[in-house]
Amino acid sequence: MTTFFVSVGIGLSTAAILSLSAVAFTLQYAVSRVANFAHGEFLTVGAYAAYSGQALFHQNVAAAAVIAALAGAAAGLVLNVALIEQFRGRSAITVFIATLGVALIVENLLVIIYGAANVSYTFAQGNLHHIGPFLWTTTDIEVMISALAVAGLIYLLLQRTRFGKAVRAVSQDRALAQVSGIPARRIVMQTWALAGAVAGFAGFMLALTIGTFSPTLGFSFLLLTITATVAGGLGRPYATLGGALIVGLMLQIAGTYTSSEYELVYAFLLLVILMLFRPNGVFVRRSTVAVRA
Amino acid sequence: MYWVSVFTEAGIFAILALGLDVIWGWAGDFDLMFYGYLALGSYMTFVLTIGKPPPSVEYIIGWHLPVVLSMVLAIAAVVALAAIIGAIALRNLREIYFAVTTLGAVSALYLLVEIYTPLFDGYNGVYGLINPGQTALNLTYNGYRIGLLVVVFVLLFLAYLLIQRLSRSPFGRMLRSVREDERAAAAYGRPVFSAKYRAYLFGAALAGLTGCLFAVFISAFNPSAWTPQELLVIYAAILVGGRGNPRGVILGVFVVYIGFIELTRFLPSPASRPDFGPAMRQVLIGLMIILMLRFRPQGLFPERPGRDRGEQPAEPRGPGPLALSASAARDAAPDTEPDGEGSAG
Repeated sequence: MTTFFVSVGIGLSTAAILSLSAVAFTLQYAVSRVANFAHGEFLTVGAYAAYSGQALFHQNVAAAAVIAALAGAAAGLVLNVALIEQFRGRSAITVFIATLGVALIVENLLVIIYGAANVSYTFAQGNLHHIGPFLWTTTDIEVMISALAVAGLIYLLLQRTRFGKAVRAVSQDRALAQVSGIPARRIVMQTWALAGAVAGFAGFMLALTIGTFSPTLGFSFLLLTITATVAGGLGRPYATLGGALIVGLMLQIAGTYTSSEYELVYAFLLLVILMLFRPNGVFVRRSTVAVRA
Repeated sequence: MYWVSVFTEAGIFAILALGLDVIWGWAGDFDLMFYGYLALGSYMTFVLTIGKPPPSVEYIIGWHLPVVLSMVLAIAAVVALAAIIGAIALRNLREIYFAVTTLGAVSALYLLVEIYTPLFDGYNGVYGLINPGQTALNLTYNGYRIGLLVVVFVLLFLAYLLIQRLSRSPFGRMLRSVREDERAAAAYGRPVFSAKYRAYLFGAALAGLTGCLFAVFISAFNPSAWTPQELLVIYAAILVGGRGNPRGVILGVFVVYIGFIELTRFLPSPASRPDFGPAMRQVLIGLMIILMLRFRPQGLFPERPGRDRGEQPAEPRGPGPLALSASAARDAAPDTEPDGEGSAG
């Protein structure tokens, strides 16, 4: 039973990071109807920005997290302006392939700058804590608390502010929002910056918990993100949080009882199964309409 | 001999691109599993021909079959896998959902092959198929490599003839109608799933054949030979050449492989940074994909519209898929919110 709770604990920490990454992915989809394959690169960019900036503020974890978020926001903004808006009106799959190209470019630029080998932060991982039946490091606890805080902030932002109202309007119907006087283009840009910031922050958290990382960090996490997003339902930010929880826990528990090497294999099989039976998310009643995005 | 090897490789990839073009160019399915079929074909060719694994090496089967027979079996194995994946992914999923599902499948396969050593010896991979038939044919090493080049080009030519024929056949036209408007095609009684499924199996079979040729060509195969990025190069080549046009696709492969990859081999690669050259090449390939998609999605040699025999030629249709040409009109005014204008009136 102890093993079970330890793996649930680690699963919760994974799920926390996964939920941030998935919420960012789904926000981009909500406003632009784009499945951004370069989303993983936001995480990588965030992680490397924090890596470059870690010495700047005397090993302050919070400062490094802010740097990661800022770098992610900048990446989101640039991607939106330079690519997504340029491809507006093109078919979803065309934009998808273009973002695939972006992922290739960013990953290899990072290889050129930082090298392909693993790097790691010099922050201390902290001690192990027994909390109830769980076993967490200080980093795990920081990750979970900050993920909850960020998720709460996003909720408030979307539900309680004018910006959130505009985001929801744009995601329902961009043209209608535009004629109602909402500056749709600016809202979309801001949403991408927000999504980039959340993803950059998630990337830093991910790199921090894993310990070592390389330019493929984000790409390998992308499929997990997509699995979590699909489990929740594409374009539905709150359901995505639930999807991330399910996927994070399932993987960790399955990995603990077989072999942790196979975790990602399970994730991809889970993705295929989800696509087959619940392409609109596990929280939606099985729809009779086939998914033809 | 260097150029013989370069042309052989480009010829093999041209066959692969032709297969992928049937799936993506004609049927319109963006398949990310595709390189996995090449890999399986290659692995199967090895394990069927190189005999029992020596100690400390593990892989399945380990027979000593003649190469040609093992190629047939390898292609059969590839088609069987494609039959499973296609039945799952093509039934209801389209576009991004299809792409993501196939990506999940290929990633699962990749990790499985890499981690589970009893399959194909994990990360070490399989090797040992060195110039099969060289002694039987009584050839020198160079003569054998040139012979291989000839075989590859003959196969490429045969594949081209077959595909050119298929392209104009009712089957090819049906696939294109399904690509352009699935609902309309279904309304006219076209069996949408079965058409896409058959195209998928056909494309996978060609990928399997390429895998076999690859096995003979490089005589070793391991997971680093089929990373996801390899497939993007093939997509880039199809985009450059002209999606849906077999001749364009072949030219695209030669342009991208020989013109591009060989030229960028001479990029400065300082000894202290051995990964600079390959990384730079990937960056350029990514850029090429984006620029082609943005400014010339129909490629250098666009797909030619089908002709109606007997009647007056219809008015020239826009090049490439309809969805793309329709969007070209929208792109004319990118700074406005094109959707908003209609609703405003």
